[in-house]
Formats: sequence, structure tokens, C-alpha cells
Amino acid sequence: MRLSWLRAVVIVVVSLVFALPIVWMFAAAFKTNVQVTDPSVGLFFTPTLENFGNVLADGEILAALRNSLLVGVVSTVLSAVIAVPAAWAVGRFGMHRTGSLVLVARIVPAVSLLVPWYYLFAQAGLVGSYAVLILSHMFVSVPLILWIMIGFFEGLPVELEEAGRTDGLTAFGAFLRIALPLAAPGTATASVLAFVASWNNFMFALIFSDEETQTAPVTLFNFISYASTDWGGLMAAASLMTVPVVIAAIFGQRYLVAGLTAGATKG
Amino acid sequence: MTSTTEVVRAARPAVRGERTVARDNRRLKWVMLAPALAFVGLMIVFPLLYTLNLAFTDAFGAVNAAHSYVGPRNFLDALGDTRRFWPAVGRTALFTAGAVVLETVFGLALAMLMRRAFRGLRLLRTLLVIPLLTTPLAIGILWLLILDPTNGIANHLLTSMGLPRQEFLGSVSQSLPTLMLIDVWQWTPMMTLLLLAGLATLPGEPEEAARVDGAGAWQRFRYVVLPMLGPTLGIAVVLRSVDALKTFDLLYATKGPGGGSDFEVETLNIYAYGLTFDYQEYGLASAVLVLFTVAIVCVVILLRRRPEGRSA
Amino acid sequence: MPADPRPGPPPLTRRSFGRLAAGVAGGAALAGCAPGRGAPSRDTPLRVMGVNHVWSQAISKYVPEFEELIGRRVSMSLLTADQLSNSYNVKLNASGTDIDVMMMRALQEQLLFAHNGWLADLTGRVTGDAAFRWADFLQAARERSTTGGKVLSVPIVTERAALYYRKDLVAKPPATLDDLMETSLRLTDRGANFFGFVGRGQRNGSVSQWSSFLYAFGGDFTIDGRSGIGRPEAVTAYEYYGRLLREAGPPGATNMTLEQAMPIFAQGKAAFYVDADAIYTNFLDPKVSTVQDTVAFAPVPAGPRGARPYNIPSWSLAVSRFSLLQDEAWEFLRWAAGPEMVARIQADGIPGARTSAWSAPATLASFPPDLAAAMRRSSEIGVGHDRPEVLQVGRARDIVGRPLVAGILGGSVPAVARDADAEFADFLVRDNRYREA
Repeated sequence: MRLSWLRAVVIVVVSLVFALPIVWMFAAAFKTNVQVTDPSVGLFFTPTLENFGNVLADGEILAALRNSLLVGVVSTVLSAVIAVPAAWAVGRFGMHRTGSLVLVARIVPAVSLLVPWYYLFAQAGLVGSYAVLILSHMFVSVPLILWIMIGFFEGLPVELEEAGRTDGLTAFGAFLRIALPLAAPGTATASVLAFVASWNNFMFALIFSDEETQTAPVTLFNFISYASTDWGGLMAAASLMTVPVVIAAIFGQRYLVAGLTAGATKG
Repeated sequence: MTSTTEVVRAARPAVRGERTVARDNRRLKWVMLAPALAFVGLMIVFPLLYTLNLAFTDAFGAVNAAHSYVGPRNFLDALGDTRRFWPAVGRTALFTAGAVVLETVFGLALAMLMRRAFRGLRLLRTLLVIPLLTTPLAIGILWLLILDPTNGIANHLLTSMGLPRQEFLGSVSQSLPTLMLIDVWQWTPMMTLLLLAGLATLPGEPEEAARVDGAGAWQRFRYVVLPMLGPTLGIAVVLRSVDALKTFDLLYATKGPGGGSDFEVETLNIYAYGLTFDYQEYGLASAVLVLFTVAIVCVVILLRRRPEGRSA
Repeated sequence: MPADPRPGPPPLTRRSFGRLAAGVAGGAALAGCAPGRGAPSRDTPLRVMGVNHVWSQAISKYVPEFEELIGRRVSMSLLTADQLSNSYNVKLNASGTDIDVMMMRALQEQLLFAHNGWLADLTGRVTGDAAFRWADFLQAARERSTTGGKVLSVPIVTERAALYYRKDLVAKPPATLDDLMETSLRLTDRGANFFGFVGRGQRNGSVSQWSSFLYAFGGDFTIDGRSGIGRPEAVTAYEYYGRLLREAGPPGATNMTLEQAMPIFAQGKAAFYVDADAIYTNFLDPKVSTVQDTVAFAPVPAGPRGARPYNIPSWSLAVSRFSLLQDEAWEFLRWAAGPEMVARIQADGIPGARTSAWSAPATLASFPPDLAAAMRRSSEIGVGHDRPEVLQVGRARDIVGRPLVAGILGGSVPAVARDADAEFADFLVRDNRYREA
């Protein structure tokens, strides 16, 4: 009895520790600038939409969110197109050494990629376009999707594909008609995580985006120096960036957790 | 030689059909892998060679300007620099070790707490996922507000409890520990989720047997669960350490270029970024990055080495 | 005709490797997204990149006139100063042709950009055009625009250090630094969240504003090409400025650059503020300022060596060497920095770099009288730089700013200054090595 009470108290405290900072940010976005800088105004106040009005009227944040969406969707789709078949090949044919290339991509500090990339992109005439951002974000997404999907394909029973083969499907046909549809939930999970990674990416966008292709994190960063004068606006902008993530977490929690922890339990 | 092959072929005529399938599969698997491999390879091999090459030059100002080879001078400059390089190494190590240790301890405790179902488990898991998926920029901003030296809620709470006001991110000495704790807040959930996944795969019998033998909760955790969880714990620590070593967004967003007025949060990553984009010292920056990459690889190898590997 | 885009081609092997790899990358993915290359058509806009500054906002009002004049669209993009530098680095490192006119800081970036071969030589154009009247520009500003005997930029905005003060609190502005210290300390009331003095305290950003104090104590960043920051005059200046911010300034001063310090004065929380005179309009704008009726302007007070404010060309226009629209870009400079436009913009309250505009009574009348007097005085006695004159200005500022931060934090200034002095000496050797390479 006593122990379970203790457990309940600890669980409530832990929940508050993780929830309150985020709640505080959303609340601040609905406060006037006087209320934001007055800590005695807690979570109960008359909300105002003024901050969102100001931030959206500027247009810069909206354009940045649109850029983030565009870069996120395109890079995720292209990454899935090349990474899912690769993951199938690794999972089906046990090519784990090849698959571990993924880890290298995770170890190398991104700063060391920036200068060579812009040299490379410049030679290809890609600088200042969305292509640069998309390619750089794909560098994160391809290994991520590959990593998650290898485990997924390994978890699918191979018998189904073999049955398809005896019915006259080619190996590629078996992948396309049998494995791919079965892997749809995994692909969705991996794609959402890849999109989130792109949505949140700051360093690549800081260097490769210009005023027209600027994504939301960079715009947010530019806002920070004005924090002391406009906390409310800053919180509204940060909230706009966080809302899609919260929605994804609420509705896809189970799948996202499966994706986040993929590959960690196989010793 | 030729005759042996002939003999083998002649001896196993029935395998021919399977062989074609195998050859088909071999071709297919490479076709399926090729785009992803080519993409990742190109995006990483060229930069690595380029960086390695640049590390031995005096490239400065512009990468498209002329530069000449200077041997290992950049490496010697970096390794002999006690003002920026070595303090950055120290801060990187401190930040990573501090954050990862705390995350492991809290993550493990939380995972044990959430191991058995309770009402609200789903909600708690959702709450844990949110910090993980939120952009570090927004995380930085929200903690800047909470920890603001004059108007933040944190100081309001401290003073209302009769404790002294703190400057947190406004102070030279408190910035790094504060950012470490923010990192712990954001990434402990990752540890918890990874360890929960690991716990779910453990067989129940050993623990049950220990219980029958009269082992208490702590003993069962210490001598049964923890050893079995070892591999997952190892992977989780490696993944977290690699990311913590490379932390950039949070530090840059809250303290700006150079890691604050006294370089108080300048880690290797922040230093390398500054050398590249604020100072345009591409040669020196590349040398620092090569050293940094080697260090990360060493940390990974060190952490992956199992105790029993030593005796083998 | 485009000039050879690469000033000094790297060894052939590396270059061809890059080309090959890039060709594969470009071919493999998204080649279709690449912007078109080749000679610009009539529809290609003239691209002007600038900082978000009152000057840029003023000139963009007049840009339609220029578009009419040359029959080509002008696309202006305005960024923060840091983002602008970043953009130049990325695009010009890639020999990008998508920048024509560059707004830049002659004292911060010109030496480096010239070293990189990124700036078009304007010598023939400025001197060959009688109507442009190059000699009309202030001599000091012309000197900063000239590197290695070549004119590489044209100054558009000038700045001097100014003392902003509250005339409701201080009857007469302090004439000496001792006065300033004494009055600031007296007016500080931390309990009421009111500060005698506010100024930049961030390591890098504060260096330019501190320079006027350094000069007033008789020091300089470099003396005969050697580090001057370890000398007693510099140490005294570090200690003075550090004490002013530590004892009379707001908390968290070491995090403050222009963006953080300026609002504190604008919101009526400080009695004195030292920063560039060109930002005065911020305090007269009722939207961001509560002191528009109480702010007053004065020259920076005198130290042991008299009053020595900096007096510099803060922003200039240059033409990218990779621009495919060299003639049109020059036309823009000729128009935007021409005698007529400078007079018009100065009449809007933005200090320019032409003697003709400074001597015209009509343009002078656009400034508040006490500010105009302070500006005139400062341009007579001012020093022509506000930061070390080196290739790597950013790195130099990071070094020079260290003792300043130590002073604000209450650390031992002489010890840190000694260490920074040694570091600066090493830096200067290195900087020279790069400069000669």
C-alpha cells in the first residue's frame, strides 16, 4: 500500500516536470508582454491572441514555416524512396556490415560536412536553392529511415514473400506487392520521425538557407536577440513550431516510441 | 583449376536453377541498396577526404582562394592551444559525462517506475515523447524564459521559498551546469524509452526465481535485471554520448557564437563552428574537426568494449 | 563579361575531383532544381543584399526611381548583420553570381573580402566619373574604402560615439569620464531597477563602443603594428569601463550587445548610454521608446587624453566580383551614394559620408540641435577606427574583449589583460602571415 502511494506521487511529480515547461511556453504565448514578464501571473489569466497576430502579420514566420514544411516533406519522401528498398535488401539478405554505414553518418560532426558540402553544391550550381537544404536534410533522414526499417523488415515473416515467389512473383515483385504494404506502418513511423528531424534541423539551415529559403528554426534564432523586448512574440513563434510535434506525439505515441527505440534492443 | 570447377558443376546439376535465383537476388539487393549507399557515401566520403586534406593546408578566408600545404602545423597549433582548444575539450567532456550519467540514472529509475502498467501510463509516455521531438531551439527559448534572471518563474519560486536569486544562463559560472540540466530534461525520456523497450524483451523467469529465493526488490534489480539489461544500456549510453558530444543547437541558441562572453559554454563543436564561420580559418577548423571526430570514435570504441572483452 | 570566378585556382586534382563528385551529386538528385546559369536576361533583377538598417529602409523608398532609370527590377534582401555575413561567406565562397551589390562594414569585412578577391575594383569608376565627386566624401571614409591602393567600396553611413543621457535627471552632461562615473554611481538604484549607466558588455560586441574610452585614456588596439592592449592606458580603460558596468550597470551586462542594451535606455531604466549616434532615431520613436521627450545627446566625455570618440564609416556599398551585372551594380552605387541621394537621405536623419551634405544647413537641421553639435564636434576630433584594423576582425575582437568581460565580472583585469596581450601578439603574427600569403 505505502509503496504504491509513493509510486503514484513520484509518477505525478515526473509528469509535471516534463509537462510544465512546455505548458508554460504555450501559456506565455497567450499572455501580454506585461504578463509574460510578471512571474506572479501563473497559468490562469485572460488569454490574448495579440502575439500570434503580431507574429503572423509580419509574414516572416509564416514563410519560414512554409519553407520548413516544403523541405521536410520533399526530403522525407525522397529519403523514404531510396532508404526503404535499401532497408529491405539489408534486412532480407543480412547485409549488416553495409548497413552499419549508417552509424558513420551519425558519428561524424555535422560541422565538418558544411564547408565541403557547399563547395560540392557550388560546383553543381545548387547554392541558394531548396535543393541544398533538401539534400542536407536527406543526409539525416536516409540513415534514420534505413535504421528503423531494417528492424521492421527483419520482423516480417519471410514465408509470406516466399509464398509470393512460388506464385510467380519476382523478388522485386515480392518486395513491391508483399513486403512494402506490410511495412506501411513502419514506413509511416520512420517518415514522421524523419520529418521531425528535418523540421527541427537548425545547423544546416543556418548555413545553407538564404532569405527566401529560410526555415523556421533560423527565423526563431534571429528572434532570440530581441527576446528582452518581445517575449510574447518569441513564445508565440516557438509554440507555432512545437504544435505539429505535440500533435504527432499525442496521436502517434506508440508508433513513434517503437521507431525511436528501433535497433537498440538487438544487443 | 578449370577441371575442378567443371567437375563441381557437373556433379551438381540440380543447383543451377537456385543459382540463377541467387544471382538474381544478388543483383537485386545491390540495385535496391545502390541509391541509398551512393547518396550517403557521396555525402560523407567526399567531405571526410576534403576535411582531411584541408587540415594540412593554410586555407583561410575563402575556400575558393589559393592555399598551400603546411604539414601538421594546424594540428600542432590546436594541440598547443591552452586558451580555446583544451578548455573546449574539457567542457565537452564535462558536459557529456555529466549529462549522460544523470540521464542514465534518471532514465533507469523512470523505466523501472513505468515498467508495470498503471492508469495514465499512456499519458506519461506521450509527455515523455514531446521533449524528444521538440526543436532544441524552442527548448532553449522556453528555458530562457523560465530561467530569466529578473522575470523568470524559476527565480520567483526560489525567492518565494526564501532562497537566493540565481542568474542561471546569465551567469558565467552557472551556464554550463544549467545547460547540462536542460539537456537532462530533454533527453532523459530517450533513455527511459530505450530502457523500457529493453526491459520488455527480458524473460520473466530469472527474476521470478530470485523472488522465490527470497531476494528483495533492490537485490533483484541489482543482480538480475541490471545485468540482463546490460546490452541495451550499453547501446543507449553510446547513442546518447555521441549526440551529447555533438550538442550544438541548444548551446548556440542560448549563448550565441563563442559560447558566451567568457567562452563559458564553448565546446569543441561550438569552437569548430566558430573557427569555420566566424573566423574563416578553414585549415585550423578542419584539424580541430579531425581531432574531434577521432575523439568521438574513440569514445564509441571505449564504451562498446565489454569488461569480458579485456580478458579475451 | 564575367571575370574568372576563382581568384586563385586550387590544384587541378582536387578541383576535378570536386567537379566529378558534384556532377554525380547533381545528376543523381534534383538536378532540375538548380538555378539557371549563363548571361543575365533583361528580367534578371539586380540583387542588393543589405543589413536591416535605417539606411536600407530609407533607400528602398526611392528604389522605384532607380528601377525606372535603368529599366531593370531591383531585388533587395535585408538580413541581420550576422546572417548577412553568413550569407556572403556561403555564396561568395561558392563564387555565387546571385549577389550584385553588397552592403558591408568597411572596418569589419573589407580587408578579408579583399584578401579573398570577392570585391570588384571600383577605382576607375569612382575617379572617372566627375558627377560622382569622389573627393566630396570625407577623407577618413575614403581611406577606409581603399585597400592596397584600390577603391573597393563606397561609404554610405557614418557613425560616431555619442553619449545619450536623460535631461530630466542630469542638468548638464558630464564633461569628463570622472564626472560620468561619479554621476552614474550616484543615480544607480538597483532596488528600483534603475541604472546609472548602460552599454554593451558582450565580449565581441562591446569592443567598438569601448574604443572611445580606450582612446580617451591614451591607448589604442595596436601601436606600431604591435598589441597595445597590455599597456597601462589600456588596462586603465578596461578597468574604468568594467567598473562602470559592474557598479552602475544592469545585471547580466556581459550578455548585452546593441539589441539588449538599447531597449534598457529606451524604456527609461538608465541615465546614460554610450553607443553609435546613428541609432538615435530609436529613442525618438514612441513605439519603442518612453524617453522621447527626456533624451538628450552629448559628445563622449573626455579622459586624461581629452575626448577621442571614434568616427567611422559604418556601412559601405561594394560590388561583388562574381556579379554578372557589373555595370548595373555600379549604376546603383552611383545613384545611391551620389550627391543628390546622400543629401536626401541625410535630410531623413541618417548621417552620410559626404562633406557637401554635412555642410548644407538644410540637412543638418534634420538632426536634433544638440545631436548635430555633438556629431560635428566628434567628426573634428574623432579617431578613424573603432576596432582593430586586421584581416580577422572577429577573432581580434574576441581577444581584445576578454579583459573587458573580466572587468565587468569583477575579475583581475591586469592578469587577463596580460594574457590577452600575449594572445593578441600571437594573433597579429598569424594575421600578418595570412595577409602576406
